[in-house]
Amino acid sequence: MSYDVVGKNIIRVDGLSKVTGKATYPQDISMDNMLYGKTLRSIKPHAYINVDISKALNLEGVKAVLTAKDVPGKNHHGVLFKDHEVFCEKKVRRIGDPIAFVVAETEEIAENALDKIKVEYDEIEPIFDPIKAMDKDSPKVHDSSNIVYHYKLRQGNIDEGFKNCEKIVENEYKTSRTDHAFLQPEAGISYIDKEGRYAVCVATQYPHYDRLEIAEALGVKEEKVRVINAAVGGAFGGREDITLQIHLALAAMKLKRPIKAVYSRKESFNAHCKRHPLIMKYKTGADKQGNLIALKAEIIGDTGAYASWAINVLRKAGVHATGPYEIPNVEVDSIAVYTNNPFSGAMRGFGATQIPIAHEQQMDMLAESLGLDPLTIRMKNIFTKGSKTSTGQILKESVPLDKCLAEIDKKMNFTQSYKGGVKE
Amino acid sequence: MNLEVYNPKNTEEVLDLLNSYKRDAKLIAGGTDLVLDLREKKIKPKAIIDISNLDELKYIKKDDNYIEIGACTTFTDIEKSEILTDNLKGLKKAASEVGSPQIRNRGTIGGNICNASPAADIVPPLLSLDATVVIKSKENIREVSLEKIFLNKGKIDIKEDEMVSSVKFKNIKGKLGFYKLGLRKALAISKIATAIYIEKEDNICKEIRIGNGALGRHGLRERKVEDYLINKEINEAIIEASATLLSGEIEKRLKGRSSLEFKKEAVKGTFKKAFKDAL
Amino acid sequence: MKEIKFNVNGKTHKLNIKEDERLVDTLRNRLGLTGVKEGCSEGECGACTVIMDGETVTSCTVLTFQAKDSEIITIEGINGENKIHPIQKAFLDEGAVQCGFCTPGMILSAKVLLDKNPEPTREEARKAISGNLCRCTGYNKIVDAIIKASKYLKREGN
Repeated sequence: MSYDVVGKNIIRVDGLSKVTGKATYPQDISMDNMLYGKTLRSIKPHAYINVDISKALNLEGVKAVLTAKDVPGKNHHGVLFKDHEVFCEKKVRRIGDPIAFVVAETEEIAENALDKIKVEYDEIEPIFDPIKAMDKDSPKVHDSSNIVYHYKLRQGNIDEGFKNCEKIVENEYKTSRTDHAFLQPEAGISYIDKEGRYAVCVATQYPHYDRLEIAEALGVKEEKVRVINAAVGGAFGGREDITLQIHLALAAMKLKRPIKAVYSRKESFNAHCKRHPLIMKYKTGADKQGNLIALKAEIIGDTGAYASWAINVLRKAGVHATGPYEIPNVEVDSIAVYTNNPFSGAMRGFGATQIPIAHEQQMDMLAESLGLDPLTIRMKNIFTKGSKTSTGQILKESVPLDKCLAEIDKKMNFTQSYKGGVKE
Repeated sequence: MNLEVYNPKNTEEVLDLLNSYKRDAKLIAGGTDLVLDLREKKIKPKAIIDISNLDELKYIKKDDNYIEIGACTTFTDIEKSEILTDNLKGLKKAASEVGSPQIRNRGTIGGNICNASPAADIVPPLLSLDATVVIKSKENIREVSLEKIFLNKGKIDIKEDEMVSSVKFKNIKGKLGFYKLGLRKALAISKIATAIYIEKEDNICKEIRIGNGALGRHGLRERKVEDYLINKEINEAIIEASATLLSGEIEKRLKGRSSLEFKKEAVKGTFKKAFKDAL
Repeated sequence: MKEIKFNVNGKTHKLNIKEDERLVDTLRNRLGLTGVKEGCSEGECGACTVIMDGETVTSCTVLTFQAKDSEIITIEGINGENKIHPIQKAFLDEGAVQCGFCTPGMILSAKVLLDKNPEPTREEARKAISGNLCRCTGYNKIVDAIIKASKYLKREGN
């Protein structure tokens, strides 16, 4: 069988435009009669707000100052839960929450107008620690409990399992909040196209979701909205949530002129999600020979002020909690929690990136306590064809992990360099 | 905004402008810090005077006594200079590890001193060379020891009508070593930068000057450690003991700072690496 | 406003600019050279790299009035209007382009390297692009492309 693509060196379709500098990212687009938009963002993590835009509106060159009152449809968005507001109406939940969008003749005027908007912050006690946030009495980021999601995985009998272990290793691991820092900061332009649709040109990972969210906020039918995906300067999960899409469309709808907005790097950091920082409490036990008998894990993910993909991320972390190992007795609790921190969402790996830090370190420490080398303990427990994962899945197809590790061992002389679990 | 910008052709024109604008003027060379401050409205000058194109301030020259480097000499110029010989490799190394190629092509030795960042990369080696700064005004030329020029973080002892025109140091007999600790190789601000100048005779330390960066409000000499090392035989035990002494000094200096725990340990490593680089 | 004259991509321009205007803004907004990208606005990411009098600079940390009488090359001027430059071809052939936002700056940094050092080692290539961040982390392929470009250029006899 011959293939057109597989095994061949194919030049990517957008390659030429990118090496010549002709590829069009949203910030590269300008239109006649264009206005500029700037976002006013919260400087407090948790507060009731009162917004006075009158002075900003009176500034020469300012065309509009949009706030929650100017959202004709639903003042919300969000990939799973509609827990974001297009503009915060009564309360801000994090530093960086959007409060208003100024539209003016020039970027400079828009920037100056931001200083003229008066926001009174009536501060509420903020909550930054996800473990404390789980308490019933802790401040609530949204109206109900701060616990967004609780994934439970149970297999075998965990108490019995630990009783039968020769060695048990127990530790707590933490990973940090990370930003995608894609190279192209968010930017976009919105206008009313020839067919009378609200066209929004942005760099996005989900033009179809964006379209739904914009239509809902504008209170128009989906067919009235057109999302054009320009060249995307990196995303890595950071362009899955709405940032400036709805603000731009609202401005175009109200002013009937093209509106452009370009975020600075700093605003980009404020606007999009982060990788979930996880706290992972792990207890792993094995028998004398190094066969894993039991694993108990509690994983707490700080999703910040908004859920975004928290459910998927913490579910994935929970599903992957055992690592690629067969363990008969497993108990995993993976919990996503609201706090007043920057919100967490999708980022490269979606929960599966953080978790190996815990399960693999546990393996190394178990090996050491049993006098085994790190590879031998893994080979004893590793998934192969026919393995059953702790979620009950039978792995029927290609599972060549053991072969891969054996090959590495051969080339690196890895196991031979260990004696009694200690590297020589 | 009432901002005037100038492209003077020589130092006299610069000094005339400084003399008339006084504190309302800012000199711009590489601009790698100033342009950011301007955009963030941290500074609001009435005049910006470009000195990046003044060839008369771009030179590295050597005579029987001194090596002198013009204020607008870029880090790239220093890195590539053939006048700066191998025993000065610590200076070249410091220059070559500033920011990135783009930043080194623009950033200048004068700018790095005047900006007075605690982490200024070129300051520790110059401290170790016991460098002197040549400062000019319309009426006057004065020379000040680099060590005495720093008043505080971001502040040097220079009058509003003055400019730094060059930096000079005596020709050396010994060797200058340097080590910078950053989070990554390129585009990293120094966590710690250490420069060490050593002159030795029969393995006895005859002269030593240690310059540290990012361990205080500005670059500093480590005189206690210098005093300890002078006239001692250089061996592993002495290097180790000096590193411990330095760590104790840093612990006193950085008391109450969040970076203390990290830096008091890490400084031992940078010290030892810079020391070996100077042998 | 201040009037300045400089040469961009082989053409002399006389422009009225704002006193505190940055080179990146002049090139993008006044001359329409949007191949100059702005990623961080503080000289960290290298996306706005241009060649100024033969050396790479980050155009976000240069004020335009400082560029008076200088010669600037952007990605648009690397090889005239139609043909692509051997470095551009090497980037295509090696798959050194992903999101593309770092690409113009990378190519210009590579050009200055190859202008001065026609046969760089991988280490020299890495150092030359150390001021250009690629968040898609395609560095290996970019280094491959620079090495390949040096071969293309040699074949062309440049």
